[in-house]
Amino acid sequence: MTWIAAIPALPAIAFIALILMPGAVRNRSLWIPVGAIVASAALSIAAFFQTVPGEHGITEAVWRASWVLGTVDGAPLMLGMSLDAVTAVMLLTITLVSACVHVYSLSYMGHDARKGLYFAELSLFTSAMLLLVLADNLLLLFAAWEVMGLCSYLLIGFWFEEDEPRRASQKAFLVTRVGDLGLMFALVAIFKTCGTWDLATVLGSVGEWAPGVTVAIAIGLLLGAMGKSAQVPLHVWLPDAMAGPTPASALIHAATMVAAGVYLVARTLPIFEAAPAVQMATLIIGTVTALVAGLLACVQHDIKKVLAYSTISQLGLMFMALGAGSIVAALFHLVTHAFFKSLLFLGAGSIIHATDTQDMREMGGLRKVMPFTWGFFTIGSLALAGVVPLSGFFSKDEIVLSLQHAGQGWAVALLFVASLLTAFYMTRLYARVFEGPSKIAHAHESGRLMLAPMGLLVFATLVLGWMAPLFARFLGHEAESLPLAVALTSTVIAAAGIGLGWFMFHLRGVDTEVLKARSPLVYAAFARKFYFDAFYDAVFIRPFGVGARGLWAFDRRAIDGVVNGLASLARGTGQRLRRLQTGRLQSYQRLVLSAVVILMACVMIYVAMTGA
Amino acid sequence: MRVGLEAFLILSAVLFSLGLFGAVSKKGAVQVLMSLEVMAVAVNINLVAFSRFLTPLTMDGQFFTIFAMVISAAEIGLGLALVLAIYRRSRQSEVTGLNELKG
Amino acid sequence: MPSTVDGIAFAVLAVALVGGALGMLTTKNIMHAGFWLLEVSVAAAGVYFLLDANYLALVQLLVYAGAVSVLIIFSVMITLRRREDAVRPRDLSWQAGLLALAFAGMMIAAIAAYAWPVAGMPAGAPDLVAFGTRLFAPHGWALPFEIASVVLTAALVGAVWWSRKEDE
Repeated sequence: MTWIAAIPALPAIAFIALILMPGAVRNRSLWIPVGAIVASAALSIAAFFQTVPGEHGITEAVWRASWVLGTVDGAPLMLGMSLDAVTAVMLLTITLVSACVHVYSLSYMGHDARKGLYFAELSLFTSAMLLLVLADNLLLLFAAWEVMGLCSYLLIGFWFEEDEPRRASQKAFLVTRVGDLGLMFALVAIFKTCGTWDLATVLGSVGEWAPGVTVAIAIGLLLGAMGKSAQVPLHVWLPDAMAGPTPASALIHAATMVAAGVYLVARTLPIFEAAPAVQMATLIIGTVTALVAGLLACVQHDIKKVLAYSTISQLGLMFMALGAGSIVAALFHLVTHAFFKSLLFLGAGSIIHATDTQDMREMGGLRKVMPFTWGFFTIGSLALAGVVPLSGFFSKDEIVLSLQHAGQGWAVALLFVASLLTAFYMTRLYARVFEGPSKIAHAHESGRLMLAPMGLLVFATLVLGWMAPLFARFLGHEAESLPLAVALTSTVIAAAGIGLGWFMFHLRGVDTEVLKARSPLVYAAFARKFYFDAFYDAVFIRPFGVGARGLWAFDRRAIDGVVNGLASLARGTGQRLRRLQTGRLQSYQRLVLSAVVILMACVMIYVAMTGA
Repeated sequence: MRVGLEAFLILSAVLFSLGLFGAVSKKGAVQVLMSLEVMAVAVNINLVAFSRFLTPLTMDGQFFTIFAMVISAAEIGLGLALVLAIYRRSRQSEVTGLNELKG
Repeated sequence: MPSTVDGIAFAVLAVALVGGALGMLTTKNIMHAGFWLLEVSVAAAGVYFLLDANYLALVQLLVYAGAVSVLIIFSVMITLRRREDAVRPRDLSWQAGLLALAFAGMMIAAIAAYAWPVAGMPAGAPDLVAFGTRLFAPHGWALPFEIASVVLTAALVGAVWWSRKEDE
C-alpha cells in the first residue's frame, strides 16, 4: 500500500514542477496542480476504503511505512507515515475540499497575472497538510506544520503589492509563531522524556511520565494548537487574514490549516487526559473563544470577516469537545465544518466576484440575481446555525453530548449561547446580502467552474449529518443515539437566533448604529475587537519597534561609524604619508640620515646602559 | 704632546659630518658631488690612521685607501658626465628638478 | 721634539681641513667652492705625510688635487654661461645641520669613550719598497689591483657614453 505515500507526494511534485517553470508557462500549466489534487482525492477515497470498516480504532494503524533519511548522532532520522481511521477521514476531507477549491480558483483567479504561483502555493499547502495527518512521528508533523505556516503567509500576502495583505501575512506568521514556540518546547520535552518522537511510542509511555512533565508538555501542545487554530488570545491573526484570495481563505482558514491545531490535540489526547488541569483549560479556552468570536461576528461589515469570526467560534466548539475528552465529537465537527465553512467561503467569493465589494452595507437583494449562489449559501448558513437535518446540527449536538458526559453542564449552557449568536449573525448576513433592495446594478450569477465545487460541498453538507453513528463506529467508539431533549433544545435555540436576527435586521433594518447610539462604550469595545489588538500593539509591537529603531541607529552610527571611520583613517593616513614621497633626492637623504642617527643613538644608549 | 689615534679619528668624523651636511643640503649637483668628495677624503684619513696605529707593518688600511681613491675617481668622472647630461637636457643642474619619483 | 712638531703639524692641518670644508660649504660662488676642495685635498695629503703614508700622499696630490678638483672646476666652467651664474644661494638647511651635528656628536662621543688598544704612534713604518712589494704580490693586493683597472675602464666607457652628443 505504498501508493498511499503518493497522496501527499502528488501535490508536492506539482508544486516543484510549477516552481521550476517561468511565470508565463506556469500560468498555462494549471492542469498540473488540479490534476494532482484530483488524483490525490481519488487515492484518498481508495485509502479510506482500505480502512473500512475501521474496527481497528484510532490507535491501530492499517498501514505504516518508514524511510530512513540519514543519521543524526548515530540515531537514524526517519520519515514515517501511518494510516489509521482518523488519518483516513482527514485525508478525505482535505483532498476533497482542496479539489473543490482548486477547481473554483480556476475561475476566480482566472485573470490574475500570478495565478500559476497561487496554484503552486495551494499545492504545497495541501501537500503539507496531507503529510501532517499522515505523519507517524511528531518531528515530521512539526515540519509539515511549519511548511503550512509558510504557505499561509504566502497565500495571505499573495497580493503583496497592497499594504493590508502584507501586514496581515506578517501578523499571521508572527502570532502563530508564538504558539509554535510552545509546540517546540513540547517537542523538546517529549524527546528528553521518551528519547523518540514516534507517536505510538510516545503515547504509549504517557503513563510513566512525571506529572509536572506531562502538564508542561500538554501546555506546550495546547499553545501550538491555539496559535494555529486561532483560539483566544492568539486569534487576532485570522480576521486580518481575510486579505488573501477568498478560495485560499476557504481552504486554509476554514477547512484545513486551522483544523491542524484540533488534529494535533486530538492525536495527543492521551497526554491531555493525563493532565486534567490542562484539559480543563482547553475546555475553558474553547468556550471563551466561542463566545468572544461569536459576539464580534455580530458587528462586522465585511462579509469575509463575519465568516472568519465564525470560524474562530466553531474552532472554539471543537476545543470544547476536546476538553471534554471526545475525539469523535471534535473530529466530526471538524469534518462537517470543513465542508460547510468552505462552502460558505466559496459562496462569499462568488458574491464578492459579482458585486466587487466585500462590504455588506453595499449589498442587497442578491437572491433574485444569483439564485444558485443564494441557494448554496443559504444551505451552508443553516448548517452553520445547526438546523436539522443539515450536518452542523448533528455535529454540534455530538459536542453537547460529550460535554454532558463529562459533566460540564455550564459549558453546555454557554455552547447554546454561542449557537444562538451563530444563528443570529448568520441571519444578519443573510438579510443584508440576499434580501432587501438591490444596491448593485451589474451583479450576475457565477460560472459553472465556481458553482460546481459548491454543489459538491452542498451535497456533503446534506449527507454527512446522517453519518454520525457510522463516523463514531469508524473511529472505534460506540455510536450513541441523540436524545430528543438535546435535539429539541438546539433546534429551539437555532430558531430563536434566526427569528431574532430576522426581526432585527430584515424587518426592522437596524444595525450597529443603534448600538453606537445606545451605548457608546459597548460599541467602542466591539469596534476595537475587545482591545486584543490594541493590547498587543501597545505591549509588544511598539516597544519592539522602539528597540528595533534604536538598534538600527546604533548600527548606523556606531558600527558603521567604526567601519567607515577605519576606512577614512586609512585614507587619511595614506594621504599624509604620501607627502614623504617627494621625489626629491635630498628629502630621502635626510630621512635615511635621520634613521641612521637615531639608530646610532639607540645603540649608544644601549651600550652605555648595559655597561660595555 | 703626542698625537693619538683619537685625534685623527675625531678629525675624520668632523670632516665627514661637514661633507654630509653639504651633501644633504646643497641643491646644485656639482656642489653635492664636491661634498661627497670631502666625505671620501675623511674616510680615507680614517683608514690610514687606523692602518698606522693598529697594523703598521702590514699597511692594510693604506691599500684599502688606494682602491678607495680609485673608486672615488671613477665616481667623480661618471658623476660629472651625468651632470653634463642633465644640464644639456634641462639647461640647469639642480637636483631638485629630478623629482619623477614624486608620489 | 718630533712629537711637538707632530702636534703643531697636526693642528695646522686640522684647521686647514676643517676650515676648507667649511669654506666650501659656506661660499656662494661655485668656483670658490671648487678651490676650497682643492685646498682640502692638499691638506689631506699633508695628513698622510704625517701618518708616514708617503706614497699615498703623493697619489692623493696627483689624483685628488691634480685631477679630481681640476675636473670639477672645468665642468663648472662648462655649465656656466656667464660669470655671474657662478653665484648661487647658499642652500644650507638647518635640519640637515642638526642631523650632521648629531651625527658628529655621537661619533666623537663613541670615539672618546672607546678604550683604544694603542696609546701613541707605533715605531715601525715600512718604506716604499715594502709597499710596492705588497701591492703587486699575488698573495697580496694584485687581484684587487687588476679589478681596479677594470673598474676604471668601465668608468671611462661610461663617461664617454654619457657625454656623447645627441643623435641628429
